[in-house]
Amino acid sequence: MAPQPIYLEEKLKEIQESGRLVYRSKAMPTWCPGCGYFSMVDGLPGALNDLGIAPKDTVVVSGIGCSSRFPFFVNTYGFHSLHGRALPVATGIKTANDALTVIVVGGDGDGFAIGGGHVPHAARRNIDITYLLFDNGIYGLTKGQTSPTSAINFHTTTSPYDNLDQPLNPLLMLLTYGATWVGQAYAGQPQQLEELMKEAIAHRGFSYLHILSPCVTFDKTDRTYVNLGELVCDMPPGHDTSNLSAAMALAMDTAHPALGVYYKTERATLADNFEEIVRRAAGDAAAKRATG
Amino acid sequence: MNKTDIQIAICGSAGEGTIAAGDILRSALAGAGYRIIAFDAYPAEIRGFGKCVARLRVTTEQAYSLKEKSDVLVCLNDDHGIPHIGEVRDYGAVIYEEKSIVPLAEGAHVSAHILPGQVPYPVPIRELSERTTGAVRSRNMVVVGYIAGLFGLSREPFYKIVDAKFKNKGSVAVQNRKAFDAGYDLGAATFKLDDVQFGAPGEMFHATMLNGNAAVARGCLDAGIDTFFGYPITPATTIMEKLASEMPKRGKRLLQTEDEIAAIATTIGAGYTGARAATATSGPGLALMSEMLGLGVMAEVPSVVFVSQRGGPATGIPTKTEQADLNIALHGGHGDAPRIVIAPTNVDGCYRCAGKAFEMAERYQTPVIVLLDLYLSNRYETVALPAKSPFEADSDKPLAKQDLGAGYKRFAYTDDHVSPRALPGMAGGMHVVTGLEHNELGRVNEQPDVHEAMSRKRHEKLKAALSHPDFTVYKRFGDEGQVDVGILGWGSSFGECLEAMFLARREGIRCAALKVVMLSPFPVDAVTAFLDDCGAVLVPELNYQGQFAQLVQAETCRPVHRYNRVTGTPLRVEDIYAEVRRLALAATRKAA
Repeated sequence: MAPQPIYLEEKLKEIQESGRLVYRSKAMPTWCPGCGYFSMVDGLPGALNDLGIAPKDTVVVSGIGCSSRFPFFVNTYGFHSLHGRALPVATGIKTANDALTVIVVGGDGDGFAIGGGHVPHAARRNIDITYLLFDNGIYGLTKGQTSPTSAINFHTTTSPYDNLDQPLNPLLMLLTYGATWVGQAYAGQPQQLEELMKEAIAHRGFSYLHILSPCVTFDKTDRTYVNLGELVCDMPPGHDTSNLSAAMALAMDTAHPALGVYYKTERATLADNFEEIVRRAAGDAAAKRATG
Repeated sequence: MNKTDIQIAICGSAGEGTIAAGDILRSALAGAGYRIIAFDAYPAEIRGFGKCVARLRVTTEQAYSLKEKSDVLVCLNDDHGIPHIGEVRDYGAVIYEEKSIVPLAEGAHVSAHILPGQVPYPVPIRELSERTTGAVRSRNMVVVGYIAGLFGLSREPFYKIVDAKFKNKGSVAVQNRKAFDAGYDLGAATFKLDDVQFGAPGEMFHATMLNGNAAVARGCLDAGIDTFFGYPITPATTIMEKLASEMPKRGKRLLQTEDEIAAIATTIGAGYTGARAATATSGPGLALMSEMLGLGVMAEVPSVVFVSQRGGPATGIPTKTEQADLNIALHGGHGDAPRIVIAPTNVDGCYRCAGKAFEMAERYQTPVIVLLDLYLSNRYETVALPAKSPFEADSDKPLAKQDLGAGYKRFAYTDDHVSPRALPGMAGGMHVVTGLEHNELGRVNEQPDVHEAMSRKRHEKLKAALSHPDFTVYKRFGDEGQVDVGILGWGSSFGECLEAMFLARREGIRCAALKVVMLSPFPVDAVTAFLDDCGAVLVPELNYQGQFAQLVQAETCRPVHRYNRVTGTPLRVEDIYAEVRRLALAATRKAA
């Protein structure tokens, strides 16, 4: 059967009626044409719209980098903070106001080089925020230098004799750090990305979505759409998302990046623990009153 | 009524209960109605025989610092005690272990070093401890009892403190009472030859005894702090420890972060939501926070940072005091990043500055740094705090409903340069705050006129802090009008400046002292007027560079004389007075 034609007018009407445009700001994205990051400009509004989370109750927090410009392109509350510091800023916001939906957006340099010290602590505390990490394996905003996820022998302006440092494995790290939801998406498959974003945001606890993305301007050889498109694969059939060891084994197979949910579990969130501390303190105070 | 002004020093090894003895003594005497100033010196190591000295000054009139000479010295340990014999005044008491634990060589015993005029009291401290409790652990309680007995103090306030301190430790309270009584009975039976006299406390001074950090915590709680974030560091940690136990009782949240960068980032994140948020650190932590404080300035987010200074750069001397972080507090970080910096001068000031810092942070949408130091953080004073919080619960500039909506300008230019802020969760207030230069809407903008206008906004809005309601920005003491010598002081060392000024006036020098509490924005008119009243001006402070003197000279274009020490210990009143006297004499000679 021949594919049904898509008429522009009908599509525009459908988008306008969907409600997702409410989440878009008037500012035009500053990314290069073809950048993988455009997938989130559409994906996140779609996910929030479907989940029925109002723009006024959403805070998008970022650090510095190409992907970190994202808060300007959505019509929610936004905090464009410092290089590497999005997670602690988001932790402060969520600690002070549980009612807000807090989404952190960042890149590989922001999250795993300068900000690498914050990731384990956000994960182990199980703070109820979502971390969308766009990994293109390069520093784009400073015009193409090596990042902590750049491949071995990757050639950049700061590795003119090629990168010889072992790249990090963020999925494996997050699994060991204690994240309660870990998944992977690919910017070239935006519909799946939107679905995974939705699931990550709906998860109660710290959710980490690793998003493979090309840098069309500064990486012409390694993570191109062509190469990534060939590499990425579906979850192996029967993958048990409650099995941490299976998730780790999957994350270690970097030659075949599987897309989907690696691992999910339920654990007390940071807010739950704060409430528990308040309960214990009240008990302590009551005990003191009784004896003293 | 007999005026009391007695200083007691207790000297021993880490682990001998030296600091605990000082604590029980000062708490009991505060309970008896005396005024107290107390400051302990201890090494960085928890054990390992480093020297500990607990000092307390007990008075019936308000005092502002410790005295140069102690009236009573207790040596729990011969090695550490001997160098301190010289600090005991004539006819003062030296109490020491009569029978040392190990045999000592000739000359290694305290008794061989007591100076003519000092009154020795050899006490079988260890023997009494072992006889009453079966262990040497209670030596410190024997000594506390001996002092109480020797000077005819009532046992009751001591019992009360011992019972409270060891309430949850089974028989320990009973054991310690026994050791106390043994010391007391011996002290009371001893023929007293010194002239140290405790007068009656007179009118009971209804006060709480707190150290500076505890007063900061009280100020935070009274100001309604919502969230606190911190990373342990000497000498600021006890602020977090106090709040960690108190905030949850009020339903509030405290988080120990992974480092100081995270501590300030979370504080600013919480401040952005409208919560009252604070962190506490020392110089090394403040250095790490510098970049994020700049974001607080740029994004105009309220935050409060308590900084308790310690000695030296890098790791320095963590358990010693210094005032060398003024420059980083005022100027740390890159770019034009104005902030409010206030420095209390005593424990009562710690409470007031802490509470007011939250008002200012909110009112002027800025980071506020409250500068303490180890000497102030750890110094105990009897203070009368208000029963009801004197702080505003909400100091935010009101936001009009009509401001919200599509055209809401988070960074609108206004008459007072403060823009009413919408908080996350408010409909129609969506905006982005950013560390990039931005226009009134918060959109990135690098135009020359925008950067100039926004820079002006961020600087000018802070000037109103100089007349912030119910806040002492500066205060003058001593002689009015023209004086021979003026002393200009800040922070913890102002107490010594004040005592030196009193001493100079008693010696016939016309003298005044000005304390400056708000260091940024700087009260340039008031300080200039004071300098113009003074024949010569002395700026004593605990740093090598003369950081406050530099600030004063730069702001007022007037010369000052510096007096700088970096001994890791508080300034000495007599040393400041000597400088004042030198300046007064030089002026007289010049006039002749």
